[in-house]
Amino acid sequence: MKKKLVAVLLSTAMVFSLAACGGKEEKTTDEGATTEKTEATDEGGDSKDYHFEVIVKSFQSTYWQAAVQGIEKACGELGVTAESNGPATESDIADQVQMLDNVIEKKPDGIGLAACDTQSVEKSLQAALDAGIPVVCFDTGVDNAPEGSVYATVATDNAQAGAVAAENMFPVIEEKIKAATTDAKVRIGEVNQDATAQNIQQRGQGFIDKMIELCTGAGKKVAVVGNEFYVNAAEGKVDEAEAEIIIEVGVPAQTTPDLAATEAQKIMSKEDTIAIFGSNQVTAEGLIQANNTLNKLSADPEKGIVGVGFDAGTPQKEAIKNGQFLGSVTQSPLMMGYECIYTLTDICDGKDVEDIPMNGYWYNADNMEADDIAPNLYD
Amino acid sequence: MTKNKKFLGLKGREAMVLGINIAMIILFSVLSPTFRSYPTVISVLDISYYITLMALGVTFPLITGGVDLSIGTGLVSYALIGGYLVVHKGMPVGVGLLACVLMGILIGILNGVLVAIMDLPPFLATLCTCMITRGLGPALCGGMGISWPSAMSDQGAFRSLFKLTTADGTIVPIGIVSVIILVIIMSFVLDHTRVGRYIIAIGSNKEATRLAGVNVKFYHMMAYVICGLFAGLAGVAYAAYVATIYPGSGAGFELDAIGGAIVGGVSTSGGVGTILGTFFGVFVICLMKVGLPFIGLQANWQQIFTGIVLIAAVLIDLVKKKK
Amino acid sequence: MGDIILTMKDIDKSFPGVHALDHVDLEVRKGEVLALMGENGAGKSTLMKVLTGIYKKDSGTITYEGKEIEFKNTREAQDAGIVIVHQELNMLGHLTVAQNLFIGREFKKGIKIDDKKMNEEAKKLFDRLHVDINPKEKMSNLTVGKQQMCEIAKAVSFDAKVIIFDEPSAALTESEIEEMFKIIRDLREKDIAMVYISHRMDEIKVITDRVTVMRDGTYVGTLITKDSTKEDIINMMVGRVIYEEPKTESAVPEDAPVVLKVEHLNAGKMVQDVSFELHKGEILGFSGLMGAGRTETARALFGADPKESGDIYINGEKVTINNPQDAVRCGIGYLSEDRKRYGIVVQKSVAENTTMASMKDFMSGIFINKKKEKEVSEQYVEALATKTPDVDQLVVNLSGGNQQKVVIAKWLTRDCEILIFDEPTRGIDVGAKNEIYKLMNKLVAEGKSIIMISSEMTEILRMSDRVVVMCEGKKTGELDISEAKQETIMNLATREIE
Repeated sequence: MKKKLVAVLLSTAMVFSLAACGGKEEKTTDEGATTEKTEATDEGGDSKDYHFEVIVKSFQSTYWQAAVQGIEKACGELGVTAESNGPATESDIADQVQMLDNVIEKKPDGIGLAACDTQSVEKSLQAALDAGIPVVCFDTGVDNAPEGSVYATVATDNAQAGAVAAENMFPVIEEKIKAATTDAKVRIGEVNQDATAQNIQQRGQGFIDKMIELCTGAGKKVAVVGNEFYVNAAEGKVDEAEAEIIIEVGVPAQTTPDLAATEAQKIMSKEDTIAIFGSNQVTAEGLIQANNTLNKLSADPEKGIVGVGFDAGTPQKEAIKNGQFLGSVTQSPLMMGYECIYTLTDICDGKDVEDIPMNGYWYNADNMEADDIAPNLYD
Repeated sequence: MTKNKKFLGLKGREAMVLGINIAMIILFSVLSPTFRSYPTVISVLDISYYITLMALGVTFPLITGGVDLSIGTGLVSYALIGGYLVVHKGMPVGVGLLACVLMGILIGILNGVLVAIMDLPPFLATLCTCMITRGLGPALCGGMGISWPSAMSDQGAFRSLFKLTTADGTIVPIGIVSVIILVIIMSFVLDHTRVGRYIIAIGSNKEATRLAGVNVKFYHMMAYVICGLFAGLAGVAYAAYVATIYPGSGAGFELDAIGGAIVGGVSTSGGVGTILGTFFGVFVICLMKVGLPFIGLQANWQQIFTGIVLIAAVLIDLVKKKK
Repeated sequence: MGDIILTMKDIDKSFPGVHALDHVDLEVRKGEVLALMGENGAGKSTLMKVLTGIYKKDSGTITYEGKEIEFKNTREAQDAGIVIVHQELNMLGHLTVAQNLFIGREFKKGIKIDDKKMNEEAKKLFDRLHVDINPKEKMSNLTVGKQQMCEIAKAVSFDAKVIIFDEPSAALTESEIEEMFKIIRDLREKDIAMVYISHRMDEIKVITDRVTVMRDGTYVGTLITKDSTKEDIINMMVGRVIYEEPKTESAVPEDAPVVLKVEHLNAGKMVQDVSFELHKGEILGFSGLMGAGRTETARALFGADPKESGDIYINGEKVTINNPQDAVRCGIGYLSEDRKRYGIVVQKSVAENTTMASMKDFMSGIFINKKKEKEVSEQYVEALATKTPDVDQLVVNLSGGNQQKVVIAKWLTRDCEILIFDEPTRGIDVGAKNEIYKLMNKLVAEGKSIIMISSEMTEILRMSDRVVVMCEGKKTGELDISEAKQETIMNLATREIE
């Protein structure tokens, strides 16, 4: 424990001196392990003396790098300071709780939190409330947070984002859906990273519910098979025997690329599969990896299985460009980080704040370079 | 228990693990029609490369009675650093791959020094290097995920070292050829060279080996260097396989390799084990990784099943020994 | 001597390849001490293991207190009142004496262990045996002798009717043995039957009432101790008369060159300023009591343990030996007293053990030349008459004497000029002993030189050309074999002890 503290102090000090030496701050890519200090540039007129602590889920994916960019941007504009921290991976729940407890000890003016596990942080949030530190959740909300501890949540409306994927997928495969019968069923696949994180749950469900709604609208009955959680949660479904459309949900046993690819391959190997959705970066890349072996994905439903992804990353962007993916849904991590700092500053200024739902945006080969999309499409 | 019984030139244990593999292939094929297809073969092989390479390496520390826990996070780190040089520093892919292997050897030497020379318990020493390597990659590469050039780009040609797509779109898993060659080489190293002989001797009786005038520190260290080298090679295989390498991942990969080696008959108390056994053992793990989802087992049950199979595989051996 | 309490009749037991017990009989009476004797491998331990349920007998009957019984495990035997006091102590050093005595059957108060009652009971037990041990003392703080008393007390506390002592005196000092005998006599008064396994003839004469002798897994006969002589018993044990004539004069010529000279060797408390010379073709015996520092001297010389100071000369040339590698390079080979721990790699084959120290002679490029390895080890198997089916046999499957020969082969393969034999015949039966002696004599005749550490006086007197005696880490004397007598050696060996 003591050692950990020393390590954190040391690395903070190092980054401090680095920043001091460097003078002007450029896009910091050399933060010691997972600590990053964002210094306010003191040029902008009424500089406020607020300091915030931000805890993200991890620095595992470039996704969180974009969020940190947004945080930096907001700090620069508002003249406040924020320190970003996060565990090594999104599954290091205990580490994150520890980090949260540590920053509460430091008594910052506010805390921004993207919780890895929504239940584990409840106690710490109570502690923050007792210490009078306002918390703004971003990316992931904490539903059962102690009354009054979380002032606002800045998060993608994941159900909406999942629905966006379904809405954009449906028109392309509509013909095939209409042609389906109980004897010649068609299958739509979905691969989710896990069945325990709330945002991924909502996203997966959002896709399924929307797809069922659209198919039902086209006069077809839909069954959901695969992972127990999603099967039980889906609404408006029928038994597999009666259905013309099957939605199959795969969840890898661990969050590793090979298992995600295996789940994707399992679904994509089936003859009746016409489309598949990977609901985050890892699983979307799982589709691509499975496709390296199967070579079945195509944006054109006549040529193969229609692939749809989520978030960004080089492989996914390439897949869209070369016509394997129809498109993907992106969140705006940058905007979430940005809004988080703004909300925290508003709280400190004594303003009333409320939840800010963020949209999921559809992008494909046509609009990838557009100004409102491109910044969110990290490599 | 006089001499090792042989079956078709295989030792008893190796034959048994091969049997488990065959039984699983039959089971999965019966239960899932989509399993018995060429693409499934490819994907089992695909995930087997980096695990096999890790396992070939870690067999050596295991035989000395030690362990190397740093290989999982290590290989991710090495692949990350190599990829960083290629993607962000514009270096040729060859340099990136070389860096990957060299980093592996370096960490192997570090482990060797800690365990063999400074006498730290292997579990502790490599747990520490596990943490170090886990942080090292993200620290050196700015904490970002790295995607090595894809197979379609010119620079991505290295990926076809493992998976070759011919002009007409047929996929040839040529990686297995390299892996089998390495299995043969390492079998030879273990059985027919001084390094191998002494590593086994150290595992079965370190003090007696020392008193025979053997430089045990050097050979003990070599076990970890070999392991590091193979972790580096596994990093190359991993880079060739996955789309994006995520910093901080890799913890737990080593357990696939160690589990495979143990299923293959390597004793955790040292002195016993064969490379061929490890090779077959890893395939048990890989087959389960791919096969269990295919037969419709859901996530949690896959892990439960895997655990039970591993216990059974080790128990069979113990029961046989007691007889 | 009372009624018969235990009878074992026609006991037969085979292991793969070994007929360990061949229709053996044994009879124990209340209130007697029965010695069970025989060479190593005669089947004494196996017989006791069959009795207490560790091994299952193939045939035969065991009658105990008039009923035929067969125990499934030691626990059942204990409950019935048959208990073994093992040679190696099975005590847990970190627990107290009382906790050790009652382990597995602790007194309880609710769910809590009742330490107070355990201490009281232990105290009562010790009082009954007239032993002075504090039940609250940590076991590791007791001397080996006291620990042995605890083992006996533990056996008694099971309400034992039959107690089996398996070489109980091996690690004890004279006075501790005396104290143990007091307890045994006391138990005899209480009508408890005892089986006493030992090699020490003197003890047998003092403490036992009858002697049952076994040989090669068969029952040879039973004698009344006070009516028989030592020679009677030995003859029954070996089935032949062995001559252990002491050497009368050194076989080494006066002018034999000095191959090894050690000067002022210091290594901790156990090696203080030790100097000696070893001549070509000589067997230099190292005698002394347990803990005199002989093994420590050998290990320091060999570089196995660090030394503080001292010079070593090989053939007149000063050499540096910091680790076993250096020693081997200088042509010194060390055969440890504890073969299993330090001598052999049990899970490896005879051939692999044979070439262990001289690997580089068996390399073709980077590969091991297995053909040559096999040929050479076969030569040594033949030369040393090692009993093994073939050289691919794992050494774990060989008997002690044959394992020792493999270790000797290892050093001969390396072509060592100086061999240190540390207790070369410990745990080896009489027949194999003679073969090892012959071999040692053959080696010196070929011009090798041997340092032989031995705790057996007869071995020292029979083999050595000269004798170095040590006591408490110091060299207390050096005798030519012509002037070495048992009494003089014992005098020197105890010189430093007040």
